[in-house]
Amino acid sequence: MAEAARATASGPGRVLIAVYGVFALSATARAGVQIATRFSEAPVPYLLSALAGVVYILATIGLAGHGPGARRLAWCAVVFELVGVLAVGTLTVFDTGDFPSDTVWSVYGRGYGFVPLVLPLIGLWWLRHTRPR
Amino acid sequence: MIGALVVVVHVALAALAVYGVLLTVLNRPPDAWTKRAVGVAVALLVVQAAIAAVQVFGGVTLPETSTFLIYLVVSVCVLPIATQFATAEPSRWGGAVVAVGAIATAVAVWRLQGLWVPGG
Repeated sequence: MAEAARATASGPGRVLIAVYGVFALSATARAGVQIATRFSEAPVPYLLSALAGVVYILATIGLAGHGPGARRLAWCAVVFELVGVLAVGTLTVFDTGDFPSDTVWSVYGRGYGFVPLVLPLIGLWWLRHTRPR
Repeated sequence: MIGALVVVVHVALAALAVYGVLLTVLNRPPDAWTKRAVGVAVALLVVQAAIAAVQVFGGVTLPETSTFLIYLVVSVCVLPIATQFATAEPSRWGGAVVAVGAIATAVAVWRLQGLWVPGG
């Protein structure tokens, strides 16, 4: 008999959700202010910044929720987040010319203590750890 | 913003973060003392936010007023929400959740300090 999936919102998962919640809040709020005050300076990066905020929100909802739907949402959001931080990080390291340094994923999240780089790895591990088997 | 109060707030948040991590390490769920400690920290944050808001709306000009006010709201709201989430499931991990809230709040207060450039 297959063992049921463990809830992602229980035990250490709650600490992970708390960190995701903080990033959902800070990335979204920061992008909101950037778009509201100086959008014309760098429209694409600031939109990307807002997208990052939305991805953190979806990851938080997915991890905090129950059932296969929430788990799938969490997988998609965390994978997207990993791809995003690697892509934007690499882009900003090799071409600092026209990309502002103050988005959440710039230089692999250096402005946020590289937490944006470590967080998706822990997220993927946690989803794997709690998966049904 | 008052320099001395900012220092007190930072010390309180650091102590709260250490206490939270300690609860997790000692395998103890958050207790009444955790809520009291959070209450003290939040009270300090509310006083700080009230003083700063009075200063801003009383005529002190800042280079980025809206960003400052957003951080001011965040600095007050994060800990109560984190504590609610931490105590909803009584386990050793509640303390770590409180610690995450305390650290996030400390970062917000640190940003507030950087944005506090009166007359700028």
